[in-house]
Amino acid sequence: MPIKIKTQPDLSVSLAGIRLKNPVLTASGTFGYGEEFKDVVDLNRLGGVIVKGVSLKAIKGNPPPRIWETPAGMLNAIGLENPGVDVFLSDKLPYLRRFDTAVLVNIFGYSLEDYVAVAERLEGVPGIAGLEVNISCPNVKAGGIVFGTNVKASFSLLSALRKATKLPLFAKLSPNVTDITEFARAAEDAGCDGLSLINTLLGMAIDVRCRKPRLANCTGGLSGPAIRPVAVRMVWQAARAVSIPIIGMGGILTAEDALEFILAGATAVAVGTANFVNPHATEDVAEGISAFLAEEHIGSVRELIGQARIP
Amino acid sequence: MPRSKVLHQATVTAHEAAGRGFRRLVLRAPELASDARPGQFVMLRVSASIDPILARPFGISAVIRRQAIELYYRVVGKGTALLSTVERGAMLSLQGPLGNGFPEPDRDALPILVAGGSGFPPLLFFAARLASKPVVFLGARNKDCLVPATAIKCCRSHARKVYITTDDGSAGKAGFVTDALTAFLDGSRERDRAVIYSCGPRAMMAAVSKVAADRNVPSYVSMEERMACGLGVCMGCSVAVKAGGYKRVCKEGPVFDARVIDWSEHVVLPVPNGKQVK
Ligand SMILES: Cc1cc2nc3c(=O)[nH]c(=O)nc-3n(C[C@H](O)[C@H](O)[C@H](O)COP(=O)(O)OP(=O)(O)OC[C@H]3O[C@@H](n4cnc5c(N)ncnc54)[C@H](O)[C@@H]3O)c2cc1C
Ligand SMILES: Cc1cc2nc3c(=O)[nH]c(=O)nc-3n(C[C@H](O)[C@H](O)[C@H](O)COP(=O)(O)O)c2cc1C
Ligand code: FES
Repeated sequence: MPIKIKTQPDLSVSLAGIRLKNPVLTASGTFGYGEEFKDVVDLNRLGGVIVKGVSLKAIKGNPPPRIWETPAGMLNAIGLENPGVDVFLSDKLPYLRRFDTAVLVNIFGYSLEDYVAVAERLEGVPGIAGLEVNISCPNVKAGGIVFGTNVKASFSLLSALRKATKLPLFAKLSPNVTDITEFARAAEDAGCDGLSLINTLLGMAIDVRCRKPRLANCTGGLSGPAIRPVAVRMVWQAARAVSIPIIGMGGILTAEDALEFILAGATAVAVGTANFVNPHATEDVAEGISAFLAEEHIGSVRELIGQARIP
Repeated sequence: MPRSKVLHQATVTAHEAAGRGFRRLVLRAPELASDARPGQFVMLRVSASIDPILARPFGISAVIRRQAIELYYRVVGKGTALLSTVERGAMLSLQGPLGNGFPEPDRDALPILVAGGSGFPPLLFFAARLASKPVVFLGARNKDCLVPATAIKCCRSHARKVYITTDDGSAGKAGFVTDALTAFLDGSRERDRAVIYSCGPRAMMAAVSKVAADRNVPSYVSMEERMACGLGVCMGCSVAVKAGGYKRVCKEGPVFDARVIDWSEHVVLPVPNGKQVK
């Protein structure tokens, strides 16, 4: 009788030099700073955690209502509420450091100087694997999207950040643009180590009885399964345009969803809105990818990156 | 077995019309049931489908033999309409118990519970657990919006006295619940021992808080906001506070000291007939 050797499929990937034990990360803004999930998810089982966006100073966010549910998705206009980088460093990061998982810090600002100042505060801090730069938040007027929808502005911002930090830098791109590849290339040219996409799609919902927007902010960012096909398409386009690795996200609920992104060219994936629906979603996706690889007799998830068969 | 302390698979052990447009749902979830405190809530997935994708928040109205929790809800939209079709024996996934719950009153305090519209469920649970019998006020626009008869009966068995008001006088005393509360407080020799707990429409809770504050009576409110995660991570359920900034209903709440809330903030929540009220 031949002995069947059962080997666990290899889920590890290298993301711009960061070793991830599996390709599953948490999407910024949907997992807090990790501690909120302490009774629910074992962070040691995740490839990494991308924390809620942090800015130089605390931000109190937009007035309510801030969320509205839509078919297979939701609109949010949180307004990047966060306690600021100093509180992040003193109160939030120490918890995350206890785990064997990569911590990526999502940063944003209202001006180029703001972004640079946050990056400088995080430089050399132990326990931070990299920075994800949010240049794409649709919910704050001054910052974010202003950079993310203008190629020149995003290039100068990312170049300035490149000079300010030695940490691996991931540009989080906005889907609210005509040609994602222009922005992908600009980020690569500016010296970014990777890309993260997509952020939410700008959306709006109106209450027909009182004829008012459902969100106090009028417009908000659409996330969830509703946006997944758009996200897969953009990851695929970006992957063909650049050679830096991509963190793919947008509506991932299951392992199969995550595999779509990987086949489209993502090296890692981030799970967002799904955390609200099933708090175990990240662990489930990682386990599901492993089961899929075993079933398909694929030794390593790396064999699937960008392997969609395009006719 | 639950996969974690807050995530549960529960069996529907009872689900029926409870009168006046409410439905009563009993879910067997022993770990959740034995942990739950009055004022806490659950996030219930009304179906396994992704439309609607988000779980719905519901206050816990009772714990039955430490095995099951009881909820009362009204069909107001897509999620509750789907929920109303769930049959006995079905499994639903839910998270809980979530939120802070009502702070316990001092031993010699006089607890006063004020429920408006569909805000009664967490107060039912609280009434049943209180060491000293509370005085209960139940208010509604009209008889049809009032708390179901079974719930009134339950209140009566735990309360020292139950006052009922309707705006149009179709049941109980005509007038606002705050009028009855004011009359009670101003005629009571126990006023300095009173602690008020209210749950209901925002406008009612704002009015109750004012009645309480004007008389220096401590008061707590159980707030409602739209929720996505229930775990304190999405920042979607924020309410404005007087000190500036926001607090999360799911984490720092749903129960707040009424003096903390910025009642001037304009908030719109859907109401049963589909029309919006301020
Ligand atoms: C802490 C808490 C406890 C609650 N307890 C109860 C209870 O015991 N019994 C009960 O009948 N209702 C309760 N509610 C309100 C209940 O959650 C809503 O009626 C329900 O979510 C409506 O869902 P729907 O899909 O039918 O309505 P839709 O109008 O289709 O819902 C659309 C969206 O709005 C949200 N939403 C609608 N109404 C409310 C509301 N009043 N408060 C918060 N979000 C809302 C929904 O969750 C959903 O995201 C509670 C709400 C909160 C926040
Ligand atoms: C409530 C909420 C808050 C978010 N906050 C942030 C944020 O602070 N920074 C950021 O870069 N993206 C933020 N996002 C975007 C997500 O990280 C992700 O890019 C997007 O939601 C798409 O993924 P999903 O469909 O899996 O949620 C937020 C999304 C949601 C739903
Ligand atoms: S519902 Fe997400 S923070 Fe409260």
